[in-house]
Amino acid sequence: MCQRTYHRRSIFCILPPYVLSKISQNGSPQQRDKALTTMSTDSTLRALRLAQVPARLPSVPTRGMPVEGQKQRTIYDAQHTAELPGDIIRKEGAPPCGDVAADEAYDALGATYDFYWNVYERNSIDDEGMPMKATVHFDKDYNNAFWDGFAMVFGDGDGDIFNRFTISLDVIGHELTHGVVGDEAQLQYFYQAGALNESISDIFGSLVKQYLLKQTADKADWLIGAGLLTARIKGVALRSMKAPGTAFNDQLLGKDPQPAHMKNFVRTFEDNGGVHINSGIPNHAFYLAATSLGGYAWEKTGRIWYEALRDKQVRPNTGFQRFAKITLRQASRLYGANGVETKAVREAWNQVGIKTS
Amino acid sequence: MKIQFKTEGGFVYLPGLNKPVIIELADLPRPEADELQELLARARFFELPPRAGKPAAKGADQRQYKITIENAAGTAHTIFLTDVVADPNLRRLLDFLKKKAAPASRKK
Repeated sequence: MCQRTYHRRSIFCILPPYVLSKISQNGSPQQRDKALTTMSTDSTLRALRLAQVPARLPSVPTRGMPVEGQKQRTIYDAQHTAELPGDIIRKEGAPPCGDVAADEAYDALGATYDFYWNVYERNSIDDEGMPMKATVHFDKDYNNAFWDGFAMVFGDGDGDIFNRFTISLDVIGHELTHGVVGDEAQLQYFYQAGALNESISDIFGSLVKQYLLKQTADKADWLIGAGLLTARIKGVALRSMKAPGTAFNDQLLGKDPQPAHMKNFVRTFEDNGGVHINSGIPNHAFYLAATSLGGYAWEKTGRIWYEALRDKQVRPNTGFQRFAKITLRQASRLYGANGVETKAVREAWNQVGIKTS
Repeated sequence: MKIQFKTEGGFVYLPGLNKPVIIELADLPRPEADELQELLARARFFELPPRAGKPAAKGADQRQYKITIENAAGTAHTIFLTDVVADPNLRRLLDFLKKKAAPASRKK
């Protein structure tokens, strides 16, 4: 019973609850007091054990204090090695450290946190104030950024094709959103479910940037990774939600492979079954709905997508059509079945070749 | 000996960089060929299980490296790695191959 790795005070294991119950009924006032305290702690631990959640002693909190609206950022420096997490370079509340990538990551995590909190009242990645961790200067000439399931990791780029990955706020918003998607929907990272996972990260990554810049849907660039490609590469960004397939066309990199419509859906085993390719389709649907409704995209279209992500109907293997129906259900719930918002969402999916009725 | 090195996954799919890089040991300059053979021996490449790196069970946008080596007798062995490799010998082998496969060195 006491096989867990943390220490549980022995009394919780030795005294069966009925003994404590007797003491609480028949003991002296002091004994009763202590027995009641023990019983309440004990039953909490027993409940946690039943729920298969490891109980944690208060002295070793592994989560942030559940103070709403307060962020906890830690930036690590991998010092060009591939070892994670690296050394702490900037903690929450510390002034800029002078390292450009670290300060960019710190500010962008802050902007992403503020976006989720101010717009959707979401308290960090898990909505329970989870501390946000990011590693910068990962590996040498590393042309990538990823979410490892617990933290964000950013490379400096090789300077030849890619600039540093912290340069784009939407890239950082994208990575943090992978954490949000993992917390809410556990979408598999393959085929359509994976492409949906990617699309949701692109959408909220872009909305983080639009929110910070206070851009309406018609003024936003709808690009993912603008500024990431160096001047020698023919391309404006890594992906375009407005015009999927047009972000780059370069001799070395090839042409942006993203489709904007189901008729051009790419069947492939590469890229986990095209997760960064076919995400262009739901990305474009979001863009169409947001620009059709106008105004700030995070307010209505973003809200619909956010509620859809949190909908219990989203399964690990949810594909585009199922998700489209869930967005419609959420749109109807929020704005009515005949609301302009619901119509705009239906029409947007229709325009990318996804029928919802 | 023929080494095939392929990078898969990552934040963006770049068709131009998705082809495997093929290294023929015989075509390498002598010091590089020696270095590579030593790295393979130290990493005990042919004894490694296919998934030698940390599996990418959770997470997103992570890279995976596929290394296939065909020896003179024609036997091929393939392993998959992610960016985070615990074994320092294997780590050095991966670094060597990443450097050889770097787009900057490919464009010439």
